[in-house]
Amino acid sequence: MLFIRDLLLMLIHLTGSIFCAILTTVFRPRLKCIDGELCLITGAGGALGRLFALEFAKEGAHLVLWDCNTAANERTAELARELGVQVRAYTVDLSQRQSIYDTADRVRQEVGHVSILVNNAGVVAGRRLLDCPDELLERTLLVNCHALFWMTKAFLPQMKSKNHGHIITVASALGLFSTACVEDYCASKFGAVGFHESLTHELHAENLDGIKTTLVCPYIVDTGMFAGCEIRQELRSLIPPLEPLYTVQQSMQAILSEQQMICIPRLMYIPFLTRALLPWEANVATYRFMGGDTCMLPFIKNTEQKMSNGHISQI
Amino acid sequence: MIFLMDLQMMLLDMIYYMLRNSVRIFVRPRSKPIDGELVLITGAGGGLGRLFAQEFSKHGAEVVLWDVNSSANEQTAKLVREQGGKVHTYTVDVTNRDDVYKNADQVRKDLGRNVSMLVNNAGVVAGKRLLECPDDLVERTLKVNCHALFWTVKAFLPQMKAQNHGHIVTIASVLGLFSTACVEDYCASKFAAVGFHESLAHELVAEQVEGVKTTLVCPYIVDTGMFDGCKIRDEVELFLAPLEPQYCVEQAMNAILVDQPLVCIPRLTYLPVLFRALLPWESNVIAYRFMGSDKCMYPFIDSTKPKLESNHVIEAA
Repeated sequence: MLFIRDLLLMLIHLTGSIFCAILTTVFRPRLKCIDGELCLITGAGGALGRLFALEFAKEGAHLVLWDCNTAANERTAELARELGVQVRAYTVDLSQRQSIYDTADRVRQEVGHVSILVNNAGVVAGRRLLDCPDELLERTLLVNCHALFWMTKAFLPQMKSKNHGHIITVASALGLFSTACVEDYCASKFGAVGFHESLTHELHAENLDGIKTTLVCPYIVDTGMFAGCEIRQELRSLIPPLEPLYTVQQSMQAILSEQQMICIPRLMYIPFLTRALLPWEANVATYRFMGGDTCMLPFIKNTEQKMSNGHISQI
Repeated sequence: MIFLMDLQMMLLDMIYYMLRNSVRIFVRPRSKPIDGELVLITGAGGGLGRLFAQEFSKHGAEVVLWDVNSSANEQTAKLVREQGGKVHTYTVDVTNRDDVYKNADQVRKDLGRNVSMLVNNAGVVAGKRLLECPDDLVERTLKVNCHALFWTVKAFLPQMKAQNHGHIVTIASVLGLFSTACVEDYCASKFAAVGFHESLAHELVAEQVEGVKTTLVCPYIVDTGMFDGCKIRDEVELFLAPLEPQYCVEQAMNAILVDQPLVCIPRLTYLPVLFRALLPWESNVIAYRFMGSDKCMYPFIDSTKPKLESNHVIEAA
């Protein structure tokens, strides 16, 4: 029967792919060359965005930098130019889709065809749900999730016509499993992951093998975005907040070897797995032990103090 | 050392809950009575919402129906009244947060008490591939399926917390736990709904608000017409056919009435959820291709084309 034959082939293919995945973990695959590619990075004025810009510049890619903060963006552009690549900076508000489309048109006219898209910009409200102003909740969703749709709609058509491109979504480990008090962030990052995976499935189904995707899911990165977040003391040295440079370097490894997804550190695959494997109450027991259930409380307190002094949390 | 004691407690807890849940597959715990509870259901004019209204009413609850479509909403109300239930209808656009807050206050004023069970059921899908989908439709899916959850919970949770009594039910989808091609808007919105719900549930547990329960309902494709045309491989469809709406709602009610935190309907769908986390991406794609799930939405997308041209929009759940 055709079905049995397909089933057997599938199981063989599946086993093969698992072996390949294990081998890639052990033996570093060859990194692709992106010399001369045009790479667009959102949130380029922020800590991670700046490091991404510099890393891509080191690999020879020319850059288009987007951020809502002009000064920070220009600073990143300066640093990147020192590495010898062409850099253009644009001030864009990712929560406004027209701003995205208009600037995308300008980029096409003034610079060229973007072949690598790094959706890195991200914000968090930093308040508990019931204390959080609705505008801040919306902003998190618009920047972290909605913007991905508009960015992809703006740049994917040209990638498709050339069957060449790479879309990178910088989500978060909090897009694979959640924690208390960051409902806006978890919702938006889960949304980003869902969007990215669905898009990747679509590109696959359409046999567009020239367009790659990479989903980057880092644990808390020490950029100040989640300043104050802390898990149980004894585990803090085992799972410290990530160094920004380490995060970006690991991401670049994954991107340049065209890996579909990366969790940084690899330890994060475990809560992702246990979320799917164990009953809810068992997961809650592990959170309680690790201090994961209350880890955001000091961060929230920090943000509340900053807000009463007139600042708003942003990367 | 406290650390070792805590570690031991955690391991014991984990084993206890794994055993308890395994037993519960065979021996259902007692359902909780919901006589006299005030249940609010969004999307009550749609396929699933209507059935939920009838089920909750059968169990003795008073129901408040919200839907953007007043006639469908009234039709649901009529059916509930016919079976002797108490019901109130409101026409609400859940994408408009002021509308949500205003109507929440109105419900409290009209009925003189707080909603004790919130069923976030309203859901839509755009039904077009990303690059062909009008931005407004994409936004609408995100706003109805995800943003609305924030507003309804903000509207009703404070009172539930004050009384340490309540239940928040989120009707998401298995497409909030794993994804497929061509429904980027729906997957993003349902993943987000799941992320929101879980974070909220973690918060309620961490704050020890034990009286407020949460249930996340993740059904596979339900035969309400919302995903008409969606089709996987024939041989696999024998095991995984589109769900009967009545069956889906009954299974959901079973979970809600025993305060179960999560239910996937049918149970078989726990497998792709697990494989998404367990296997490498390429392996999952191979399995999808075999099962026909990579292209399962193609006939659905193709069938929505003529409908959207005549301004008929896919809605409900």
